[in-house]
Amino acid sequence: MTQVVIAKIWEIPPGARKIVVPFRGRAGIGVFNVNGNLYALRNICPHKRGPLCTGELTGRINANAPPSAHAAELAVDGDGEVLRCPWHQWPFEIATGRCLVDPAVRVKTYPVRVVGNDIIVDLGE
Amino acid sequence: MTKIGAAPISAPGWTAQPKEGVKIVDCDVHHNFERPEQLLPYLSTFWQNHLIDQGLHLPSAGYSNVPYRTNRSDLKDPSLKERDFNFSLEFMQREHLDPWNIDYALLTGPPPFYGYTGLPDPDWAAALCRAFNDWTIEHWLEKDERVVNAILISPSDPAQAVSEINRLASRKDTVAVMVPMGTSMPFGNRFYHPIWEACEGHGLPVVAHIGGGSGAARTTPTPVGFPTYYMESRMSRPFVASAHASSLICEGVFEKFPNLKFALTEAQQLWAVAVMWHMDSDWKAIRDQTPWLKRLPSEYFREHIRVGSQPLHEAETTEQLYQFLDMLHAEETLVYCSDFPHFDWNDPVTTFPKLEPESQQRIFADNALEMLRIGDDWL
Repeated sequence: MTQVVIAKIWEIPPGARKIVVPFRGRAGIGVFNVNGNLYALRNICPHKRGPLCTGELTGRINANAPPSAHAAELAVDGDGEVLRCPWHQWPFEIATGRCLVDPAVRVKTYPVRVVGNDIIVDLGE
Repeated sequence: MTKIGAAPISAPGWTAQPKEGVKIVDCDVHHNFERPEQLLPYLSTFWQNHLIDQGLHLPSAGYSNVPYRTNRSDLKDPSLKERDFNFSLEFMQREHLDPWNIDYALLTGPPPFYGYTGLPDPDWAAALCRAFNDWTIEHWLEKDERVVNAILISPSDPAQAVSEINRLASRKDTVAVMVPMGTSMPFGNRFYHPIWEACEGHGLPVVAHIGGGSGAARTTPTPVGFPTYYMESRMSRPFVASAHASSLICEGVFEKFPNLKFALTEAQQLWAVAVMWHMDSDWKAIRDQTPWLKRLPSEYFREHIRVGSQPLHEAETTEQLYQFLDMLHAEETLVYCSDFPHFDWNDPVTTFPKLEPESQQRIFADNALEMLRIGDDWL
């Protein structure tokens, strides 16, 4: 069980992130504050290994019907809860690591907790 | 000793294995200017006034609804608020050539600029190409031997295109001639033959990149009109490339210019197998319409036409991808293209993860080196 202090809580306010490489030779980790909740993702896109955590934030883009249908509406749900990889733009749900366009694809996530003012990520083995 | 092969080291979290021992020739690197005014010093007074008065007024290259501002969002110059669109040689060295250990990068210009093929005025199009080429020479070439150039020419006036090829052909860093695929006639048409003749005469291949003019003054991007979304316009690219390739073959361009090489880039790849198979089948029945063709169409294709590797279809299984490369005769026809710095780029390491060493050498280096006028034997 390897636990690492990543940052002080004031370093990552809502909407912000911090990318760290806790150990030499290991993958970097991105810690995100989404609406007050902290999440940690591996900084490797499972698609082509791009630096996922440096990507831009977006939401779940939804439409209840094609635009030609009656009452069709284009919506951005949960803006800021989705991360797009800068290489090829695949979207990932930050809270779960789930890829929104391919259910078989998921980026590794790590448990995060706050102790005092420290943000601590549990890297597992 | 210089290490050969892709060696990505600076990307955070990078764990992919580099491809060692293989040269990398990248046949599609988009360099760009920040502001049109940067071209002013390379335009005559008449055209300077034109630019100041009217701007570039380029028709949209492909579609204007390209998402994510086109480029990789991890590419940001610290001195710029916005992301960098590959505005400088130093940026390209730092973000692409150095970290990936690229041996040669072929400059292909900014796709929005390809709209010059759709300009109604062929003289403005030719003036823009000349200015862009001279700007490239001053700011990108001669400072780094890895950087080689595909000079831009405008196909709408072949005489001026030939003049431009003749003007720059003696430069060592001129290794190809770039023409956007968005034209009003397929490339095999005899209208264009003087351009191909000049290319062959100087030992320069043509590198035709998708884009330019479509959705604008010259043609629709598909044979059935204007699609709505950017993804649809991407799906039309294989048809554009197929039309150009079959035209070049049917019109006998490669009988007339037997040393000409012609690459079609950023139009995907599956179409090439369809063209080879389908043309061979048809040719056996209706060859009499084109009796100047002495060989199967696929033989002309494999000898003369090259296909850019980006954007690559992701097959359902890895096995299918390699079966497809076999059908494509990728060891003869496929040339590696990164499309740096665009969001849909293909890096040199993960794109074909399990190639045999010989295939890797062909796709990442030899096919391009045999096509491009690189080396000492061209004078």
